[in-house]
Amino acid sequence: MVRRVLSLTSGRVAVTILTAVALLAVLGPLLAPQDPLATSDNALAGVSGSHWLGTDYLGRDVLSRLLDGSRVSVLGALEVALTALVVGAVPGILSVYLGRVFEWITLRLADTLVALPFLLFAVAVIALLGNGLTQAMLVTGVLVSPLFYRVSRAATLAVARSPYVEAALISGASVGWVVRRHVWVKVLPPTAVAFAQTIGVGFVIVSSLTFLGIGVQPPEPTWGGLLASDLGYLSHRPWAPLVPALLIMVTVWAGNLLADAIRDVSGEAGRALLRGRGARTGRTDPAPAGGA
Amino acid sequence: MTRTRPDAGTRPVLEVNGLEVHYGARRRRRRALYGVSLSVAPGETVGLIGETGSGKSTLARTVLGLVRPTAGSVVVDGEDVGAYGPRQWRDLRRRGVVQYVFQDPLRSLDPDLTVGASLTEPLLVRGVARDEALARVRAFLPRVRLPEELLGRLPGELSGGQRQRIAVARALVTEPRLVILDEPVSALDSANRVQVLEILKELRDTGVALVFISHDLGSVAGIADRVAVLYRGELVETGAARDVVSRPEHPYTRLLVGSAPTLRGASAGRAEREALRALLHA
Amino acid sequence: MTTVSEKLLTRSEEHGPPGSPDPRDRTLPLLSLRDVRIGDTGDGREIVHGVSFDLTPGKAVGIVGESGSGKTLTCRAALGILPARFEVTGGTVEIDGTDIASLTPARWTALRGSTIGAVFQDPASYLNPSLRIGRQIAEVLRVKKGLGRREARGRVLDLLRAVHLREPELVHDQYPFELSGGMLQRVLIAAAIAADPRILIADEATTALDVTVQAEILDLLADLREQAGLALVVVSHDLAVVAQLCDEVLVMRQGEVVEQGPARRVLDDPRHDYTRLLIREHEQYGLEKFLTPEEEA
Repeated sequence: MVRRVLSLTSGRVAVTILTAVALLAVLGPLLAPQDPLATSDNALAGVSGSHWLGTDYLGRDVLSRLLDGSRVSVLGALEVALTALVVGAVPGILSVYLGRVFEWITLRLADTLVALPFLLFAVAVIALLGNGLTQAMLVTGVLVSPLFYRVSRAATLAVARSPYVEAALISGASVGWVVRRHVWVKVLPPTAVAFAQTIGVGFVIVSSLTFLGIGVQPPEPTWGGLLASDLGYLSHRPWAPLVPALLIMVTVWAGNLLADAIRDVSGEAGRALLRGRGARTGRTDPAPAGGA
Repeated sequence: MTRTRPDAGTRPVLEVNGLEVHYGARRRRRRALYGVSLSVAPGETVGLIGETGSGKSTLARTVLGLVRPTAGSVVVDGEDVGAYGPRQWRDLRRRGVVQYVFQDPLRSLDPDLTVGASLTEPLLVRGVARDEALARVRAFLPRVRLPEELLGRLPGELSGGQRQRIAVARALVTEPRLVILDEPVSALDSANRVQVLEILKELRDTGVALVFISHDLGSVAGIADRVAVLYRGELVETGAARDVVSRPEHPYTRLLVGSAPTLRGASAGRAEREALRALLHA
Repeated sequence: MTTVSEKLLTRSEEHGPPGSPDPRDRTLPLLSLRDVRIGDTGDGREIVHGVSFDLTPGKAVGIVGESGSGKTLTCRAALGILPARFEVTGGTVEIDGTDIASLTPARWTALRGSTIGAVFQDPASYLNPSLRIGRQIAEVLRVKKGLGRREARGRVLDLLRAVHLREPELVHDQYPFELSGGMLQRVLIAAAIAADPRILIADEATTALDVTVQAEILDLLADLREQAGLALVVVSHDLAVVAQLCDEVLVMRQGEVVEQGPARRVLDDPRHDYTRLLIREHEQYGLEKFLTPEEEA
C-alpha cells in the first residue's frame, strides 16, 4: 500500500511533509543553534544572523525554541493516535468474532466514550493528576478510540459476511485464516485513514493544551506555547505567530492529505484508479459503464 | 456417449430427512424449511426449483453447515452433521467432500486476491503446498474453458461469465463428491449462461453429484435427472425431471411451468394461472 | 380525460387502443426513431449503428439483445437520459412529432412522465429507502399534476389498485424494504403511469424477478397496452419475453439491428444467424422441449 500511496502526488507531498516533521522532532533539539532556555537581554529582536527568527520577550532564540519544542508536539500527537489505534481497533475487529456479549459491551463503551468531550477531559486529567502531558494524551487517545473501533468493526463486518469469506469457510478455512488472508487487507486501509486523521487531531489537541499553558511547565518550549506567547507581543513582532501557526497548520493538513491519499488508493475506487480507468465520478448514474 | 457412473458405492452423497429450520426468536420466529426430505445419489444431478422465499438457499446453507437445523437430520457422505460444532465442520470441510458455487459472480471472489490465489485457497487451507496447489489448479482450467494467463489477474478485470467459471473451478479443485450451485447462471447473459450450462453438463459425466438450485425451470430441466420443487419451505413435488416438467401435479409446479415464457407465449393462459394462484393462497 | 389507472380498473372488454376521436392520431407515431446513431464522445466511436422504428398508440415494440448490444443506450436516447459519455450522432428521435434534439431541459421535464414514462431493472434502487411508498408516488402526482395532498392520496391508492397490489392501503404506508421485488416493480409501474403517459418503456423490467412474478408483470404490461392504450417499448435479453408481448421485434447485436419485423415472422422465419442462435438456445435450454432423450454420441 505504501507504494500505491506514493504513486499519487498527494501521497508524496503528505509523506514528505510528515517525514520532515518527524525528523524535526527527532533531530530538532540537536540542531538547535542555541540553548532554547537561555534568556538574554536581547529581547524581541528581529531576524538576524545569529537569530534566524529573532528572539522572544525573554531574549531566547525563537528558532531554537521551535526546534526543541517540536519533539513535544509530535510525540503528543503520536501518543494520541497510537493509543486510539490500539484501544479502538483491536476490540473492533474482535467484536465480530468473540460473541454477542463482548460485542454488546464494546459497542456500549464506544458509545459512551463518544459522548465525552476530549479537550475538557484532557484538562480535567491534568488538573487531577498533575501537569503531565503524557497522561493527558493517553486519556485523549482513549476518548478518540471509538473512531477506530467503529471503522475497524465496520470493515471487518463487511468482509466477514461476504460470499468469498463464506467460500473460504466452506473450504475448511479457520477463522484465523480468514482474518489473515481476507479481513486484514480490508481493515488496514480505513484504519490507516483514521490514523492519519487522528495525527492531525492529536496535533491540534497538543497545541491547544500547550497554548493554554496546560500540560507543560514553562519555560519548556512547545509550538502551541510559542504561539501563545507570540500573540502577546504582536505589536513588536507581528509576523512572529505565523511561524508556529504555519507549522501546526501544515502538519495537520499533511495528516489529512495522507488520509485522503490512502483512501484514494483503497477499495473499489482505489483499484479502478490504479487500473488507469479513472476514478468513479460518484454520480448515481445507473447506466453501465460500457453502455448496453 | 453413455454417462458413466463411477463405482462410488450406493450410499447417498447427501441425505436430508424431515429437515426443519426456523429463524428468529419467540415472537418473530420464521419457518424457513419444514419437513424437507431429499437424497442425492453419487453422480446424480438433482434440480431444486424454488423462487424467492422458498427456502432453497436455506437448504443449501444448512447442508454446508452455515445454518443450524432446528429438527430433522442431515447426513453428508455418511456423516450425521446435525449436531456438529465449528471444529467438526472444519474437519469435514477439509475433506473437500462438498463444495458450493454462489449466485453472485461479483462478490464470490475476493477482489484483492488474484484468480490464482482464490483458486488455490481450498487446497492451501488443507495444507497443500503452494506449488502443488497451483499445478492442481491448472489441471482444472480447461474444464471451465479458461486460459492460464487469467491466474495472475484480479477479479475486477474479468467479465461476469469468466468470474462464474472461476467460481465453478474453485468448487472443483478439491475434487468434491457433491457440488451445490445456487442460481449459478441467473446473473449471466445468454451466451455465458449457455457456456456455464454446457460446462455443468460435462461435469455430470465425471461422476460428481450436483444439486442445481434455480428458479429457472428451463436450465434446470435441461441438466437434471431428478427435480424437487420447493414452495414456502416445503418440498411439494419431486420426480424425474421430464415428468415433473411435462406433467406437473402440484398447483405450484403447474404455476411455475405455466409462467415460464416460451417462444409461443406463456405456456398457461392467464386465467389458468390466476386460478392456480388462488388455489395456492387458499 | 380518463387516467391510465381508471382505464385499467374498469376492465373494459374492448381490445386494441381505445377509440380516440381524432383518426389522425392513429397514423401519427407517438415515438419515432429514424436511423438513430449513438457515439462515444471520448473516442468518437459509434456504438449504436442506426435504429429505426415507429410506435403508434397501443403498439408494442420489443428490443432483444445481450449486454453491450446497445438496447439500453437506445432507450436512454429516447428518454433524453444518455450518460455524459454518449451522444446521438445521427438520425432523429421524435416524440409526438417533436424532434427531441430541439427540446430544452424545461420541455423535457414537461414531457417526461406525462408523455413518456419508464421502468427499469432493479426496482429497489429507484425508490428512496427512507420514504414511504405512498409519498413517493404522490410526489409524481403533485409535481406533474399539481394535486393537493388528499387528492393525491386517493389517486395513489387507485394506482396501487390498478397495478394489482393486493392491499393498497397497507402498501401505501410501507417502506420499500418491506416489499418484495415483484411488488416494488408494480409500485414503479404505478409511478411511471401516474401522470398518464402514452408511451411506457420497460427496460429489462422483469429480469431480476422470479418467473411466476415475471409472468404477472408481463400480464400487467399487456393490460396497460390493451386496456389503457399505452404504447410499449419492451427491452429484454430474453427473446421469449419479447415474443409474448410485442407486435414488432428488433434484434440487436453489438450496436447493430440484425433483424427487425413482426414478432411472429421473426420467430417463425428468422433471417439472421444471430436470431436463429437465440431461438436455438431457447429451444435447448428453455421449456420448449420437455426433455428429449439424451443424444447418443
